[in-house]
Amino acid sequence: MTILIGLLNGMISAATPLLLSSLGGALTYYAGIFNIAMEGMMLSGAFFAVLGSYTFGSWQAGLICAILGALMIALIFILFSVVLKVDEFVTGVGLNMFSLGLTTYLLRQIFKVKGAFTDPAIVPVPNIPIPFLSGVPFLGRIVSGQNLIVWLAIAATIVCHYVVFKTRFGLRLRAAGYNRDCLDTSGVSADRIRVWSLIWCAVLCGVAGAYLSLGYVKLFSENMSAGRGWISLAAVILVSGNPVGIALVSLLFGLADGLGLFLQRSIPSQFTAMLPYLATIIALFIYSARRRKATGN
Amino acid sequence: MRKSLIVNLSGILSAFLICGVVMQLQGYPAIESYAALFNQSVGSSYAFLTVLKNSIPLVLTGLSASVAFSSGPVNLGQPGQFLIGGLFATIGGLFVELPAPLMIPFMLMLAMIGGALWSFLAAIMKQLFDMDEYITTLMLNMIADLFTYWAISYPFFETGATFPQTPKIVKSGWMPSIGKFNSGIIVMLLAFIVVWFIYYRTTAGYEWRMTGQNPTFARLGGVPTRRNYLIIMLVTGALAGLAGGLVVMTGPRRFIKGIGANYAWDGIMVSMVANNNLFATLLYGIFFSTLETGSLGMELFTKVPSEMVTVLKAIIVLVVMAGRGSLEVLIRNWMTRQKMKARAEG
Amino acid sequence: MDSLIEIEHLIKIFPPNVVALDDVSVDFRKGEIHAIVGENGAGKSTLMKVLYGMHSADSGELRYHGKTVRFAAPGDAIQAGIGMVHQEILLVNEYTVWENVVLGQEPAGFFGRIDHGAARRIVTEKIHEFGFNLDADARVSELSVAARQKVEILKLLYRDVSFLILDEPTAVLTPQEIPQLFDELRRLRDNGHTIAFISHHLDEVLELSDRITVLRKGRKIATIPTAETTKSALAELMVGREVVFKPIKDNVPAGDIVFDLNGVNLKASNGKDLLRDVSIQVRASEIVGIAGVEGNGQLELVSVLTGLQRPDSGSLKIHGQELMDSSILDRRRRMSFVSQDRSRMGGCLTASIMENMLMTHHRLRSTFTAGGGILIDDQKAAAFAEDACRRFDVTYATIQAPFRSLSGGNQQKVILGRELTLDTPFVLLDQPTRGLDVGSIEYVHHQIMELSRAHRAILIFSADLEELFRITDRILVLHRGKIVADLETERTNIGEVGSWMLEGAKSDA
Repeated sequence: MTILIGLLNGMISAATPLLLSSLGGALTYYAGIFNIAMEGMMLSGAFFAVLGSYTFGSWQAGLICAILGALMIALIFILFSVVLKVDEFVTGVGLNMFSLGLTTYLLRQIFKVKGAFTDPAIVPVPNIPIPFLSGVPFLGRIVSGQNLIVWLAIAATIVCHYVVFKTRFGLRLRAAGYNRDCLDTSGVSADRIRVWSLIWCAVLCGVAGAYLSLGYVKLFSENMSAGRGWISLAAVILVSGNPVGIALVSLLFGLADGLGLFLQRSIPSQFTAMLPYLATIIALFIYSARRRKATGN
Repeated sequence: MRKSLIVNLSGILSAFLICGVVMQLQGYPAIESYAALFNQSVGSSYAFLTVLKNSIPLVLTGLSASVAFSSGPVNLGQPGQFLIGGLFATIGGLFVELPAPLMIPFMLMLAMIGGALWSFLAAIMKQLFDMDEYITTLMLNMIADLFTYWAISYPFFETGATFPQTPKIVKSGWMPSIGKFNSGIIVMLLAFIVVWFIYYRTTAGYEWRMTGQNPTFARLGGVPTRRNYLIIMLVTGALAGLAGGLVVMTGPRRFIKGIGANYAWDGIMVSMVANNNLFATLLYGIFFSTLETGSLGMELFTKVPSEMVTVLKAIIVLVVMAGRGSLEVLIRNWMTRQKMKARAEG
Repeated sequence: MDSLIEIEHLIKIFPPNVVALDDVSVDFRKGEIHAIVGENGAGKSTLMKVLYGMHSADSGELRYHGKTVRFAAPGDAIQAGIGMVHQEILLVNEYTVWENVVLGQEPAGFFGRIDHGAARRIVTEKIHEFGFNLDADARVSELSVAARQKVEILKLLYRDVSFLILDEPTAVLTPQEIPQLFDELRRLRDNGHTIAFISHHLDEVLELSDRITVLRKGRKIATIPTAETTKSALAELMVGREVVFKPIKDNVPAGDIVFDLNGVNLKASNGKDLLRDVSIQVRASEIVGIAGVEGNGQLELVSVLTGLQRPDSGSLKIHGQELMDSSILDRRRRMSFVSQDRSRMGGCLTASIMENMLMTHHRLRSTFTAGGGILIDDQKAAAFAEDACRRFDVTYATIQAPFRSLSGGNQQKVILGRELTLDTPFVLLDQPTRGLDVGSIEYVHHQIMELSRAHRAILIFSADLEELFRITDRILVLHRGKIVADLETERTNIGEVGSWMLEGAKSDA
């Protein structure tokens, strides 16, 4: 039982940042942006979360700084790819590198350390105990006491689903990805929609970053996002952006992560960690097989 | 030609200016820092040989990306191909022992085969199932990363080591050095010359260039574009693999975790900032290596954290790329105005 | 009548050297159907795109309801009540009809939630109001082209647009669908809408419009009431000279059959017939023209001939050699091909003139290759390209200059130079004079005559009947993917060919 609870909690904590950043990636995916800057946004968010929390002594400030840090990356993305029309992939690669350089530079500049920074003055994002549930055996130990950001991620999934499929913004967002000329000639600037999708993507990635440095643990380390941006990209492509699909896939990837540690003796964790990428390749195969069938021959 | 020189130089200058202002604001002497940076990289032949040695992976992965992008295939798989190439060379160096004149070519060949094998996976997925290579190569990068991590943690793990790494490769597989001059540089330059020659002097290169610029035109002209796609993927994979092999053979002489982390994406950046021009790729590869090598000197003399250079490189790439696009727009506007003027005059 | 829109002295330049609109002034009156006619490249679409805010004008003024306006984006134009239905239909295929219609102006409630009920109701009402036969819940990807066009019009009506621009709306329709569209447009006009209608089909224009503006090469030639003009008068205005057919074809006796296409069938993935049992024979020295309204299978036939597309059945022989299963290169050993699309198929804009000249030759001839065709000798290649440029009268700065720096006529000469020096027995020309000036057209026609004298077999696709009458021996008419007529040029006339083109049958008149 304890093992199962540990596994589930491990799954939830691995899935949360993935879920948030993938939702962000989904918004840009729908807007037709090939966005690989989630990694940089998350990393920047994680650093500024620690900076904010440490400086102001409050986790709220940390969360806000995380979002601002990710927004900074998004604004540069907007400047280069939307305004100056630089290739999206180039902008993404450049910004990931920029973010990595900036956070390590500032880590040394502000905190005078190399590698990682932790300090008692950093206030983490609190866990939320649910009083009447915490006594319930199994369920209580999973549902109660989860981090605030876990709940935020669940809420974000529902909100994203609602926004994408039920609202005016969602209709335009998807139209920007499907046929941007159509949207433009409908009197809505597709560029504007793209800008908003990037801003919301940054907000979500910023929160994901805050979870990494203030929720999961209480420290910032160099290159802390550690490829999660790429897993997010994989998740988004895997389910073509659908928010609920992303939630399921994130849980699956989280489970693989948790299982990887658990099964280490029988299957090396590296192979379980490959799962997201292999799944994406398989999904791509199925997608293209279906497309070939649809077009005949 | 002159146009692109202006874009590149002004882009680099403005990036330096931006970072200089940042440094100054944080209380570092910007000019002295830059002076230290260049002094420690191109200030002496000794330092410059280190720069050249460090540029090997940048130039080779950069060439790989440049050739791929300008010939059509969007091979973003240099990071993965680099790692698999490095692993192949390492395995050869662990289990085979030949005299150096045979051992070195043998290992380089293995590295190229490893890289080509990895790009072949993406190529075959494209040709058989029409799966876009720009996604499959990205995914294969991560898979290669994890796969090599596993390989050096289990089957090829150096017993007793505290860090995931293989034992050292046989001595005859080390790239020999004469003083500071590492012979890996010769391999890099040879690879550059061969690729350049193929690209600009052969019928195959002509077809690749035309296919990259206008695939329909090339296809209608009788170019076997499908076969060429496969060849280009294999060649560019082999180049990235060669980079991996050379890094193993010139640097740590074993495969250690994180060996490719600093190079492979840089290669793609180099090719992009060089606009896929082969000669510019060589220059930018060496230039980026200059910055990296000099950053340690800068840190030593003026205490500017060496990571500043990572930021500087990213800004150079973004500014030069943006400048290229904006200049195009400016030129179009200028041409329109000229035309209007010509009309007004008669 | 009041002028709703006045366009004054509009100039639009596409760098480097295309003047798309040259001092054009037009006015549109409230409640009229105003046709804009002109040949390809006359500036019709550009004019409308400037009006609609998709292009910015380089000079000139736009007055709407008497006030000077400037639309920076289509959104502004729509806001002002001007809407456009594009030639290439711009809809989100993945959305339903009502979603497409309301996109951009969605009725919404709390938190931007779209009011589905209201949206569907309004769209359904509009569908009934204008008598469109559409289902609001149908997915656009499942609709016919005609239905999609209706969705586009509906989209504009939903926005209360009072001025509608239709860019060649009939080009994508079947003959049966056209009268229905016209009825709908007339109904709109009678409702007080103003309609600008772009077309190059004179019959349609005469039938539908109230006034007609003729553009030629970016200039406005005239605006005339429809009642006061005739088809031949319009044709003359459009083409710019009296339409007389002076054949320049000299009588070279035709030789043996060189090109033999037999029983080609091609179906689209949705089962629609694209090509039906097409068979064509061309003899040495013979020039055979393919006439037809655009979109009747020309594109597909050219793709099949060049090898870009495999037909479902059929054979292709040149000099008795079966080529239908051969590679493009094998075809090109026996077939020169000049495509209608200089920038996408015929040449490579970013490459140099020399590089454009070498294509295909680099595989077939060895004058500039070395080492058994592996290496390219740059000097010999330059000499080869310069020689071809000289023979085909190309004006250029240096052989290394980019192809895009050339004018359209010179680009075409480079392509002709490359293709005609291949010395193939069969030459395929797809709209070889499209978008060229008169001088260049003349040049191309004389080159084609030279080919005939050199005993080559020539197949030419052209949308320009005059061209076909000028140079061909025979004219075949392609109608809905089928060759419906095989006419000797000397024994037919433009009226007969025209009726075959339009109706797929000989007219009684």
